[in-house]
Amino acid sequence: MTGKTMKRIFAMLAVLLPLCLHAQEVAVGLSSNQAQVGEPVQLMVTVRGARGADVPQTLSVKGLQISLAGRSTQFEMRNFKMSSTLTYTYLVVPQSEGEFTIPSFDVQIEGKTFRTQAMRFSVSGGTRVPQQMPGFPQNTVPVPSGPPPASADAGEPFFAELILSKKKVYVGEVVPVELRFYFNSRIGGQVGERPSFGGEGFTVQKFSNAVKREQIVNGTNYTVFSFQSAIAAVKAGTLEIPEATLDSRLQFPGKTPQGLGDFFNNFPLPQGMFTDNREVTLKTKPMQIEILPLPKDGRPEDFSGAVGKFAMEASVSPKKASAGEPVNLKVTVSGQGNFEGMGAPLLTGDEGWRSYPPSDKFQSTDAVGFTGEKTFEFPLIARQDQTRTPGVRFSFFDPSAGKYSVLTQDPIEVDAKAGGAAPPVAAGTPALSRGDKPSPMPTPVSTPDVTAAAGGSTSWVSLFFRREFVIANASMAVAWFAMLLILSLRRFASSRAGRELARKKLLRDAFSGLRDAGSDEFYEKARDYIYLRLNAGGDDLAVAARIDSSSLPPEFKASLHRVIERHGETKYAAGGAPPPPVEERQAVISILKELEARYEK
Amino acid sequence: MKSSLIVVLLLLLGFSARADMLSDASARFQDGEYEQSAKLYEQSLEKSPPSAAVFFELGRALNKTGQEARAALNFRRALILDPRFAPARSALQEANVALGIPPVKQGWQAQVVERIPMDSLTLAGTVFFWGGAFVGLAAFLPTAFRKRRLVAGLLLLLLGISLVSVVWLCDPRVTLANTALVLTNGGTSVRSSPADQSEKTASLPQGSIVNLLSQRGRWFYGQLPGGAKGWFLTEGIVPLIPPA
Repeated sequence: MTGKTMKRIFAMLAVLLPLCLHAQEVAVGLSSNQAQVGEPVQLMVTVRGARGADVPQTLSVKGLQISLAGRSTQFEMRNFKMSSTLTYTYLVVPQSEGEFTIPSFDVQIEGKTFRTQAMRFSVSGGTRVPQQMPGFPQNTVPVPSGPPPASADAGEPFFAELILSKKKVYVGEVVPVELRFYFNSRIGGQVGERPSFGGEGFTVQKFSNAVKREQIVNGTNYTVFSFQSAIAAVKAGTLEIPEATLDSRLQFPGKTPQGLGDFFNNFPLPQGMFTDNREVTLKTKPMQIEILPLPKDGRPEDFSGAVGKFAMEASVSPKKASAGEPVNLKVTVSGQGNFEGMGAPLLTGDEGWRSYPPSDKFQSTDAVGFTGEKTFEFPLIARQDQTRTPGVRFSFFDPSAGKYSVLTQDPIEVDAKAGGAAPPVAAGTPALSRGDKPSPMPTPVSTPDVTAAAGGSTSWVSLFFRREFVIANASMAVAWFAMLLILSLRRFASSRAGRELARKKLLRDAFSGLRDAGSDEFYEKARDYIYLRLNAGGDDLAVAARIDSSSLPPEFKASLHRVIERHGETKYAAGGAPPPPVEERQAVISILKELEARYEK
Repeated sequence: MKSSLIVVLLLLLGFSARADMLSDASARFQDGEYEQSAKLYEQSLEKSPPSAAVFFELGRALNKTGQEARAALNFRRALILDPRFAPARSALQEANVALGIPPVKQGWQAQVVERIPMDSLTLAGTVFFWGGAFVGLAAFLPTAFRKRRLVAGLLLLLLGISLVSVVWLCDPRVTLANTALVLTNGGTSVRSSPADQSEKTASLPQGSIVNLLSQRGRWFYGQLPGGAKGWFLTEGIVPLIPPA
């Protein structure tokens, strides 16, 4: 190595080292979340993107002794960015058995406070068993069974293991499993999203999202991707659990320049720079477990098929129901077990009720559907007036006790009136029994009276397309448009244009009436026309005044006055005026036409 | 008068005959004569308007005879008529489990129809719509509060349109109008084109639901549960809503 090369390397480090301070984060993890009394486990606080951090020396948890054991630093370089990882390791020594929560605590990094997550830790009693592999829980069954993975001892870059909490399980019992895939922390790359796992004779629940943590195995720091799920065996006998696999694309440190191997071994190098990319498949080792059949002795007749540990509670709503109104009996079964294979609880003392198969809903409180609560809702309609709901009975097999258990719920007070249409309870009406279970169909608790229970629509045609609906809406539309038309006409009539139009019509009518008028009413109509045309009201004097005030030529005004005077004469002359001769009528009509023409201009 | 009496009497006789048939069907079911019971329910449905309860009972009887797919069809029909009929929903789930049909996550439409009767919602929407239309029209009257009437009318109109739109989007009698169920034993094959020799792209197990898009001869073109489309034979494909 020449001095020039060394200078280049130091220059590169001088540029890269400050990049250590990019995104700071704190993660915390336990080497195992289960242990026995006296068995130490490691609690690791991993700090990224910082050169130092202030962490507490001890943590106070009653029943656990937790103290800081040491600190290690590691540099990583990915995509030409260098980051440092500090790992603070605490030793956790359980003092007593029980369920513990290691509380969250503060980690100070350059003046900023980061808070870790709280963790649950389970400690069981009994003698300590020899540790098969550092980090393995003591009360689980490590796979492969036997010695720890040789790969781990030899500091291999990756290996996998399957953790089962039991070696002997019952048919239908749900057993949590954990798949752990270990990668040496110096290896970069991409890890598949989900492992591949499954086989004959057992069912597998969906996998949880991967949990990533750091773990020291035999002195080597590993990044562990952990997937949780649960399996349930479907038949008795020896169950072969095949290998679980996870595909990954890894970057291994490659050949480094001669003489610099020790130096570069401290840095996982970016792709293409002294690295070797490989597609690898991590595999757990196959294993066998023993599946026990559910005992026949003591099996309740109404055994629901549930295997696990459960509690039950019930409620009813509404508390008061009028005739024919249903009440809803809600039964919640909570705990741990095979919720998927669980049948509904049985109603007891339900003779006075008509009930239907319940709806059910499962709410899981963990990622794999092992723990949670299943709610069954029974719709009930009283056949006779009722003051109490039916009772509830639920049976299950408890694998930890190795026997069947029965939970019962006493009837709940309710005030339900009998439906008027409900038929009386027929003697011998069959009630739901577990004997009906083999049928894939749920059988109602009591036979429903279909004629009485008929509900919903009695037509395949939506109301939209039914003739009566269309006719009714068409009628409404016609009425609406008619009303719109009437209102529009009224509005127009009251407008200036409307009024003008009406007046013109009156004038036209008045003029045409004048032509056809008899001799006794000719002048009456002629005067009316002048009234309208001049827009004058009142008597002849008012009309005369209107004529005088108009801008008509004087001789034309005189002609109009003459028509008004003739009206007076024909109206008030003693013995009546002689009928106007045809020439006079023509002359009057000519005057009025001229009046019209003058006003039109 | 005489003819009216005769009509009433005939109607009463019809109802009585139907009730007898249903009672008989129910009794036969209790006695374990499931096939006879199913036949009587089918006869009752042929002679009377459709009823969710009768379709449910028919489904139960068919299920007892091992005809899960036909049972599922009738449970679905019961749910189309009465989406709030919880026993039919449970029974359909069980039948689907027996058929190996994976459960489908219910959309918001299913949740709406389970809670609100569609016909009532349609009527309410229509009343609001026309109420809004007429109140809005009253704003044309030359009286006080014209603006308020217009605003109230528009709000009612919008409310009515919204309710009717919800019905349009949710009512299974509208949304499932082109949906069918695969009754064929062993399911049916989906092909890339309407020919026996064309490439098989998928298989539809018995009890599957498909959305029919078009028909060419003895082939349906439809959308499969996963969203893919393809051609399949019309034999054994039964519309959920029976043809009129």
